[in-house]
Amino acid sequence: MEILRAIRWESLFDVELAIKAAPQLLIGLMDTIWISLLTMAIGLVLGLLTAMARMSSNPLFRYPARAYISLIRGTPLLVQIFILYFGLPVIGITLTPLLAGIIGLSLNVGAYSSETIRGSILSIPKGQWEAAASLNMTYWQTMRRVIIPQATRVALPSLANTFMSLVKDTSLLAMITVQEMFYQAKVIGAREWDYMTVFIMIALFYWVVCTLLSFAQDKLEERYGRYAS
Amino acid sequence: MIRVKGLQKAFKQNQVLKGIDLEVAPGEVICVIGPSGSGKSTFLRCLNMLERPDAGEIELDGDVLQFTGKDVPMKQMRKLRAKTGMVFQSFNLFPHMTALENVMEGPLVVKGQPKEQVKRSAEALLAKVGLSNKKDLFPGQLSGGQQQRVAIARALAMEPSVLLFDEPTSALDPELVGEVLKTMQELAQEGQTMVIVTHEMAFARDVADRIVFMDEGVVVESGPPEQVFAHPAEERTRRFLSKFLVKQ
Repeated sequence: MEILRAIRWESLFDVELAIKAAPQLLIGLMDTIWISLLTMAIGLVLGLLTAMARMSSNPLFRYPARAYISLIRGTPLLVQIFILYFGLPVIGITLTPLLAGIIGLSLNVGAYSSETIRGSILSIPKGQWEAAASLNMTYWQTMRRVIIPQATRVALPSLANTFMSLVKDTSLLAMITVQEMFYQAKVIGAREWDYMTVFIMIALFYWVVCTLLSFAQDKLEERYGRYAS
Repeated sequence: MIRVKGLQKAFKQNQVLKGIDLEVAPGEVICVIGPSGSGKSTFLRCLNMLERPDAGEIELDGDVLQFTGKDVPMKQMRKLRAKTGMVFQSFNLFPHMTALENVMEGPLVVKGQPKEQVKRSAEALLAKVGLSNKKDLFPGQLSGGQQQRVAIARALAMEPSVLLFDEPTSALDPELVGEVLKTMQELAQEGQTMVIVTHEMAFARDVADRIVFMDEGVVVESGPPEQVFAHPAEERTRRFLSKFLVKQ
């Protein structure tokens, strides 16, 4: 009870500060959004290629793919980003914060989505491959026209999860001074001696973005599932 | 013209085809019958290179492909495939495409023909199998018999010199078998070369120019239906046919 009385509820959210901080936070949000979109796109391409390498009968493709997935999934994302930004300069490779961040996040999305994509491709019945082969389609034609459109439907819920995690994980880039939304919030918080208001604001922004993503997921699932009765 | 010589295929230790010889003349309709596990489906799948034979050779319209256990060059394989069309037991239509899109897919993507022309011929093919009014439906909205007729149209769209059927009615409800067989019979009358693996003995008797009876990986006997069904030369054929009631 003593503790509850000690709480200063009036300091929970400072509306005046919120209005003042909003423009800067929204600029940060734009960065968060475009970094997420770009990283997701690169990560998906990487994930598809890794999934195919992992399913290849050629060990020269299969084993590097497995090693990549294992390393990325088995180490913390923050450590990976630190190695890229703080570690690489030691051996003479210096990346800008933004580039290091985008590479780190893309590698992460690539590894996680590759397992989702692999599973979804394996879920397509063998008869689909055979039907495509009997029409004389090449491997790539079969992938592009027959397998991927069907696998997308299977992979969507899981890929949407990956995307939402990614949006939130971009906040880690603040640790290497990328000026995305979380970084801006920290700066304002330090300047104004009020972390609570700005962090509540950005928490809300992240939540709104993820909610919009989940709407998009519903729409996409509807579209890719329209043939299923 | 197909000429198959000494075709062999094993899965691990299991020798499924023990040297198949067969010739199919242009316009001929062959029904391959035999007990399950006799290798008839594997034989058909070898003709379309869905399985790679271990030994023997396949000649199709003058192109010869010899098998030695090594990988067959992709180019030769595709050349052989281009001349064969396959109709599967479980249809294997592309579920995310409409009936019309299924039929258009091969000519459009593989042959790269112009879309308008492909669409017109696909519509004609669907009309031929009696499904003009279903062209914009997805496979999931069609009955099994309708799906199989779309699959036949899809195979025909590639203008193969021979059409292969792998138990095309085995996955169908009994009342839907007739419409598929009727479509196939019409194709036979038009002179389409066909090799059909089937358990529909009455259909085989009525439509086939020649019956091939396979058992344990070999062709036991072959001949015109009236001969094989009425006067089988081999005991094994007789035993197999006795399980079917075929009206003479």
